[in-house]
Amino acid sequence: MNKIMVITGTSKGIGRYLAEYFLQKNFIVIGCDLSKTNLKHNRYEHFCLDVSDEISVRKMITIIVKKHRKIDYLINNAGIASMNHSLLTPLSVVEKIFKTNFFGTFLFCREIGKVMAKNKFGRIINFSSVAVPLHLEGESIYAASKAAVEEFTRILAKEFGNLGITCNAIGPSPIKTDLIKNISKEKINNLLEQQAIGEFASFDDIVNVIEFFISNKSNMVTGQIIYLSGVC
Amino acid sequence: MDKNQITEIVTNTIKDYLETQNIRIEINSNSALIGDNSLLDSMGLVNVIIDIESQFLDKDIEISLISEKAMSRKNSPFRTVSSLANFIHEKIEGNYE
Repeated sequence: MNKIMVITGTSKGIGRYLAEYFLQKNFIVIGCDLSKTNLKHNRYEHFCLDVSDEISVRKMITIIVKKHRKIDYLINNAGIASMNHSLLTPLSVVEKIFKTNFFGTFLFCREIGKVMAKNKFGRIINFSSVAVPLHLEGESIYAASKAAVEEFTRILAKEFGNLGITCNAIGPSPIKTDLIKNISKEKINNLLEQQAIGEFASFDDIVNVIEFFISNKSNMVTGQIIYLSGVC
Repeated sequence: MDKNQITEIVTNTIKDYLETQNIRIEINSNSALIGDNSLLDSMGLVNVIIDIESQFLDKDIEISLISEKAMSRKNSPFRTVSSLANFIHEKIEGNYE
């Protein structure tokens, strides 16, 4: 039986890469994004939605459950960033970032957690960032939203522990994607210097951690946050 | 779907859950689901709510038993089998958001 994986934010960047990677591994991948996708595959299904829109998310999960009867893996990849000094940050930006990064993660965990609980199996991987442990200036709101994801992940691990569901998070260091395209070279270099391994990470580095979290051998791995590039 | 049918689904779902916990007990519409002398502990209630939503989904009825209003209701809809069945009936009839 095919493994069913839901990935949020699959139109581009890390999400797109993960979708293609797990399709190659014979998973059925169900993705979603605000925008359409040109990813075409007989085992890929795409939903256009806002991850923080409760009604749309519920509808999506209902359709998946009716068709596939289960969801094995959830990767909450969808995320947005905005760099600005806190004193210059409009509340609307704060709301937007928290809606996508935290509310979206919460909604998918809640709705898919119900499906996984019924099947007594599930692997949830949320996305944090090295911006949390590095306390990066100019990223207060983004880092706060990811810190919320981290704490949510840890507590979810406890709440879901007896339901056969593990819940972990990965904290990528900078990767060359749209998320950091507007950040100055100087800022990026400064960030890289704070890492034990002062290089850009790659998509494959993320896949490596996700493969570890979703492995059948990782039954006892839950509530953990793994940062790339030796950040701690 | 009438209230009797809903009550039957709720009762059977709770029975099924309790059986998985090796608990065999008579359930009626006044059986308590929360508070003193309740049939379920907190995780039991979570499991039952998930199972009930799923039971209705199998019948092409999509309901969510979690809502801010429900959680803050003076008289929780989760207090007895009967109150939960009434709550679900209201949801299905569209009288409760």
